[in-house]
Amino acid sequence: MRLVIFLASLLITFSAFAEQDKYQFDDKEQAVRFSELTKELRCPKCQNQNIADSDAVVAKDLRDKVLALVKDGKTKDEVIDYMIDRYGYFVHYDPPVTPATLVLWVLPVLIVVLGFGFIVLRQRKASVKQTWTEQDEALLAKLIEQNQRQEQS
Amino acid sequence: MNRKLLALAPLLVFVLLCVFLYQGLFANPRELQTGRIGQAMPAFNLPDLMDESTRWTDSDLKGEVYLLNVWGTWCPTCLAELGYLTELREQGVKIVGLYYEQGYDPDFDGQFDINALREDVTSMLNRAGDPYQFNILDLKRTLALDLGVSGAPETFLVDKQGTILLHHTGDINPRVWRAKFAPLMQELQ
Repeated sequence: MRLVIFLASLLITFSAFAEQDKYQFDDKEQAVRFSELTKELRCPKCQNQNIADSDAVVAKDLRDKVLALVKDGKTKDEVIDYMIDRYGYFVHYDPPVTPATLVLWVLPVLIVVLGFGFIVLRQRKASVKQTWTEQDEALLAKLIEQNQRQEQS
Repeated sequence: MNRKLLALAPLLVFVLLCVFLYQGLFANPRELQTGRIGQAMPAFNLPDLMDESTRWTDSDLKGEVYLLNVWGTWCPTCLAELGYLTELREQGVKIVGLYYEQGYDPDFDGQFDINALREDVTSMLNRAGDPYQFNILDLKRTLALDLGVSGAPETFLVDKQGTILLHHTGDINPRVWRAKFAPLMQELQ
């Protein structure tokens, strides 16, 4: 069993090395930034794939550009801005808050708030309507007494 | 009254949803917003497709309204639009080709021969019509990346000052021309 685990762990490290072999980085931090960026940037040609995943020509070009920019020491935000500048907001999987996209953030909150508001309002209305008079109290006492008598017999 | 209105609310939401989804049926997912509209043509210095001793820069193109058409002989839609683009050229529209090559890339084909490419281009343009004043060869696709090009065919409308006014993805046909290009062209005349 131990041997199996050992062999499996070897496999994992080998595949990790293989990925790094294809692209050469100066340090580990660059490799991480590159891998994060290629997963976050969206391929403009084969939609709904990120550029790490896609085999399209443009995805390869974008990967190469990201690699060059990362090696240049550009931060993550700088690379993303560089791509948005050319390919529009579409190229990034995390859309910014603009007047056009505001509805994405506001609508879910609005629905929850309205829903709870509706529930609270309904409950308050229902509780206001119920009044408890002495007659009701008497009726209740009578019913309890009846019930007890039935149980005893 | 209030209650009846409230009962109608789900129906209203449903109808709104239907309208939203229905128009989604006709939305074109290839129609992307792009970053370059309203901006200047990116700076470049690239060779002519037919003669590498001739070089073209962004400033060579200033002073005239033109279409920059991204194309390649490998792209069937580009072949399909050559006829109509040639008609446009005959009507006096200046069209510059940006040749999008992928065979040069070792990751894709790696088999690249500039003379074979030139022959290929010449025979295709002879057959289908030649709309281009000249063609810029972007072997490494650097200008294409700076323009936000994701494939071919794509077409940019650029004004005299070198500002990009329009970025169209897909072929140009009479319908697209009337709807997207003609109104802007009229304004520019």
